[in-house]
Amino acid sequence: MRAVYVYGIAPARERTDVEAPGVGSPHAGVRRVVHGDVAALVSDIDPGPLAAARELRAHWRVLEEAISRATVLPVRFGTVMDNDEAVVERFLAPRHDQLAGQLAELAGKVQLTVRATYDEQRLMRAVVEESPAVARLRERVRGLPEAATYYDSIKLGELVAGEVEQARQRDTALVLSRLEPLAVAARAEKPSTQDGAVNTAFLVERSRVDEFSQAVAALESEIGERMRFRYVGPMPPYSFTEEEAAASWA
Amino acid sequence: MAVATRGGGYAARPQPSGLAEVIDVILDKGLVIDAYVRVSLIGIEILTIDARIVIASVDTYLRFAEAVNRLDLQQADQSQGLPELMESITEGGAKSKTKGALEGAKEKLGIGGDEEEEKEERRPRRRSSQRSRKSDEE
Repeated sequence: MRAVYVYGIAPARERTDVEAPGVGSPHAGVRRVVHGDVAALVSDIDPGPLAAARELRAHWRVLEEAISRATVLPVRFGTVMDNDEAVVERFLAPRHDQLAGQLAELAGKVQLTVRATYDEQRLMRAVVEESPAVARLRERVRGLPEAATYYDSIKLGELVAGEVEQARQRDTALVLSRLEPLAVAARAEKPSTQDGAVNTAFLVERSRVDEFSQAVAALESEIGERMRFRYVGPMPPYSFTEEEAAASWA
Repeated sequence: MAVATRGGGYAARPQPSGLAEVIDVILDKGLVIDAYVRVSLIGIEILTIDARIVIASVDTYLRFAEAVNRLDLQQADQSQGLPELMESITEGGAKSKTKGALEGAKEKLGIGGDEEEEKEERRPRRRSSQRSRKSDEE
């Protein structure tokens, strides 16, 4: 029995031809299921386990290609429905107006993501320099065997984690203060790695992307010594797709 | 990766993202259709969890695999190594309760918001970060 894999939702009137092969094996072509003003991008699939990494990549490539031409609301990875009728009846029809409204709000805008990671050595040095408590405890713990300083080590790690968290919040606030004025919307999210400093997503008018990019470059040359920047996009508006409840973090 | 260079040498345009760096976004975000559909997806959801753990290395493997495949030696199976993964995942999925299996498995595997603790466990120095967060809330 066949099923359909759902990638995202685009306005019915926008072109969304995607050449990238679909999820699943054998790869089926990406096509549309249209209902009213909205269209689901789907491809046929044999239901069953997917080869995770390869399919993630296929999923991502389809979306990347689609957003180069159209506004697309991304659907959660791994979403499979029984058939085209199910896509319409359980998804497009009941949520038609909401989806069309979200697409209208996002029209002409792209998500750009600015992330930064700390150089751990540098960050740790700064923490020790700026926090007398950390410096003291570090001196006490240093050189002693781990078993002898178990609780002190925990305490030290706790203090450092607190300092790192504060640094993250300061730096996130700085990035937001510079870039948010150039964006329609901004979200700060929790960095996903231990050395993560800043993880911010911006919704930017396509016509202002260059201006925004210059501001990112300026910011990078200002504080890029302390952290390493990644400026990524355009990507599907994941952080601005509702019922995502994109938890504001900073 | 060498995109960011200091002193104005920064490429003043956004870069396409690599899969590994958007993996969290792909797995955790996006429209959810409805509860009924999600339930029917459990097998795949469980899959995505393992995907997150193995993604960095598997992604690298896949790059190699693609490069090797381009050599056109034979029509080799691209997904070798993954079937075992699939099996173990499916087993895990079947044991879990239908609802909340994703969350349960995430907790069990120490991923999804708890990744840091997972890493910190291997570093005695940092073992207390979870504790610090809790005490912040108190």
